[in-house]
Amino acid sequence: MTQPSSLEKKEPLSVELTEVWKRFPGVVANAGVELSIQRGSIHALLGENGAGKSTLMNILAGVYRPDSGQLKLHGRSHQFRNPSDALSAGVGMVHQEFRLIPSFSVAENVVLGSAPSLIKTGQVEQRVAEMAAKFGLQIDPSQPLWQLSMGERQKVEILKVLWRDAQVLILDEPTTVLTPSEVDDLGEILRRMADDGRSIIFISHKLHEIAGICDHATVLRQGKTVANSLPVADTSQDELARLMVGASPTISTQQSAAVIGKPLLELKNLSAQGDRGMNAFSGINFDIKSGEIVGIAGVAGNGQRELADVIAGLRPSISGEIIMDGADITTKSPNHRFQSGLAYIPEDRLGVGLAPRLSITDNAILRVYRHQRKGPFILGQKALSYCADIIERFGVKATDVNGPIAALSGGNLQRLLVGRELDGKPSVVIASQPTRGLDVQGVKAIQELLINQRDSGAAVMMISEDLDELLAISDRLLVMEGGVLRGEFDPRSASRQEVGMAMLSDAQVRATP
Amino acid sequence: MRRIRLRLREHPLPGGQPVAFGIGLAIALFVGTLLLLGAGHDPLKIYSRMFDASLGGPDAWSITLNRAIPLGLAGLAVAVAGSMGLWNIGAEGQIIAGAIAASWVARIGGSWPGLLLILMMLVAAVAGGALLALGPAMARAKLGVNEIITTLMLNEVALRLVQWLIHGPWKDPDSFNFPLAPMLPDQARLPTLFGRAHFGLLIAAAVIIVISVAVRYTAWGYELRIAGSSEATARYSGISLPKKVLAVLVLSGAIAGLAGGVELTGTTDRLTESISNGFGFAGIIVAALALMRPSGVAAVAILFGAVQIGGQSIQTLGVSSSVSTILQAFILFGAIGAGVFSRYAIALEKDALRTTEEVQS
Repeated sequence: MTQPSSLEKKEPLSVELTEVWKRFPGVVANAGVELSIQRGSIHALLGENGAGKSTLMNILAGVYRPDSGQLKLHGRSHQFRNPSDALSAGVGMVHQEFRLIPSFSVAENVVLGSAPSLIKTGQVEQRVAEMAAKFGLQIDPSQPLWQLSMGERQKVEILKVLWRDAQVLILDEPTTVLTPSEVDDLGEILRRMADDGRSIIFISHKLHEIAGICDHATVLRQGKTVANSLPVADTSQDELARLMVGASPTISTQQSAAVIGKPLLELKNLSAQGDRGMNAFSGINFDIKSGEIVGIAGVAGNGQRELADVIAGLRPSISGEIIMDGADITTKSPNHRFQSGLAYIPEDRLGVGLAPRLSITDNAILRVYRHQRKGPFILGQKALSYCADIIERFGVKATDVNGPIAALSGGNLQRLLVGRELDGKPSVVIASQPTRGLDVQGVKAIQELLINQRDSGAAVMMISEDLDELLAISDRLLVMEGGVLRGEFDPRSASRQEVGMAMLSDAQVRATP
Repeated sequence: MRRIRLRLREHPLPGGQPVAFGIGLAIALFVGTLLLLGAGHDPLKIYSRMFDASLGGPDAWSITLNRAIPLGLAGLAVAVAGSMGLWNIGAEGQIIAGAIAASWVARIGGSWPGLLLILMMLVAAVAGGALLALGPAMARAKLGVNEIITTLMLNEVALRLVQWLIHGPWKDPDSFNFPLAPMLPDQARLPTLFGRAHFGLLIAAAVIIVISVAVRYTAWGYELRIAGSSEATARYSGISLPKKVLAVLVLSGAIAGLAGGVELTGTTDRLTESISNGFGFAGIIVAALALMRPSGVAAVAILFGAVQIGGQSIQTLGVSSSVSTILQAFILFGAIGAGVFSRYAIALEKDALRTTEEVQS
């Protein structure tokens, strides 16, 4: 295909998206986005949660179809109908959630779905090994997947895409599962792939990583491109941050309207194990007082989830004490804790907080059914009116309360869950990633609910990976890293950088297992 | 190319079950017609015989219902465990255990009055089935041992036990050396309602209603359904899982045991090697087709019974048993499997991804 004569003599862009629009019910995810990526470069796609990055990448990877807009690869127009269309055109995506089979070997996982018709294990393993070596991926193709760390699994995902000869690789927040030294490794691997002529799109929130890894950066804000292909070397991190958050870089902090009172939750020297029998966290000491939100910041997987589970009673502690409003609840059951005023909004909404196969009503009454019954029977009318009340007060959009809960959208699921948990006027609220994956309105609604709860005198603990969010709504900010607390900050005076440094402190020590 | 996928409906289709049932049945009969034509039979003749034999009058109905009793109870046993996400594959063995226990009571209480004897036999049947399920239940509740494997293996144990009994100590000396236990005393037989339908029909109906109501409307059943949907959610809300697992698996075994007792006193009148007659395994199909809902078990069991009876009847017309079995499978799968569509919509990919205009309007 011949390009119209242009002043530039450069080869066509490897990816060129123009005027891409994509609407979902209630949300405009992409409002005329532009993206252009040069061959052989590592291109950062930046933007806050909900800025439209994932939608755009899902369009590029053939998962969604755009409402309008043009998509060109190496100068040629494409319309992808599904991910395999995109893959055969050379676009491969490494998702945040890995899609791998634990009992298969590395090589089997890599070739799965596109294996040569007659598989000779030795040959396949050798070819996978050659490909891995070419790009500096240190991995043993014959090793079973379940033995690998998260960082190694990610390499398998990358190999899968390379095996299908993708020229454009999309990595969706690839560093969230990595230790800092693994992040450095990844940077080198990506550089080799770029030097090989491939283009890499790197989605991240972490500006220091962008600075270290990427050549160019495109910034999205509210579904629009606010900066197209900035050279990263010439752009300061402050500038990128300003572009991401918009005109006013200072985030309006919600000042506590409540008087800070006595401690309602005290953790004393608390330790617990993770799923793999290693210490998830140890020696945690802090308290949360009436009328304050304590934010827990940290990269995912540093013990925050386990901490929330231990406080809620879903995971045993191995030492230490949990004191709630003066009473020791360390060994009490989850239900006892709830009845004494502890609400828990778990990270896994549909699966821990809610029962996916049951109706909206059944899920609404999870905390109250024990008290709404006559003899052995649950009072059906009371359940319905209770559910209707939650739906109305917390703005859940649901048409049929007897319909399956799984049919609700993410934001409505979370409103129902949060509403149910806050309905009993809890004195302590543990919220784990309560706004993750929600749209802008949903995030705001959930944050307001938590702030109201604080203002009415509750002690709130909020775990989030979104530092901005924590800086905006916390009264105190604790940083968790490697299962210990690395520092306490006042969100009104702390800078992102200070907090960010604490999130990565001591990282090198931990990286070597 | 448009992709077709199933999407969970927000509202179940009103009247969807009967409509889907009808359409599914029609498709099944059409496919079955091709099969019968291919095998060289007259489909009309075959279908009318099947209908006459199973649903074509009071006598036919009584035979169908006679079959539906053990199918319904076995299906209920599997479904009640299934409501909690547990698989009792051992109903077959538990039926045998129930029948053995009931036979034992009949042996020692041969002189008791009928009501007492039958009552004690059924109590023993319940206990026998529960006892066989107790081991798997405890292993699952305390140690997390997979109940599918343990319940399945105990089927073999129960089968060998009944074989030993009727070839050995309980063998009827008057049975001309056939492996059969003696006939039950006359007063140990369940009264007949009409034709082949016996009092066990009312017992099965009552148990199915009680369990359905318990699962749907009580706090106990609610907790069961929560745990069946997500164990993590159950733990989160403070439901004690080990106790529930133990109770539900034992209950499941007890219901299957009752099926064995009812079949013994209502139909076979003596302990035989084939007392369970595959009802325990068919119960798994019944429960699955009822979508693991105890309330759906009765209707599925009656249809299943009708199809089985109808399928057997056409073998006298020269239809081979394999063709008959395939036909039965078509009908069951078509008629009941189609029910899925009342809860799931078939969506073309175009529907899943709305266009701009649709969103704006």
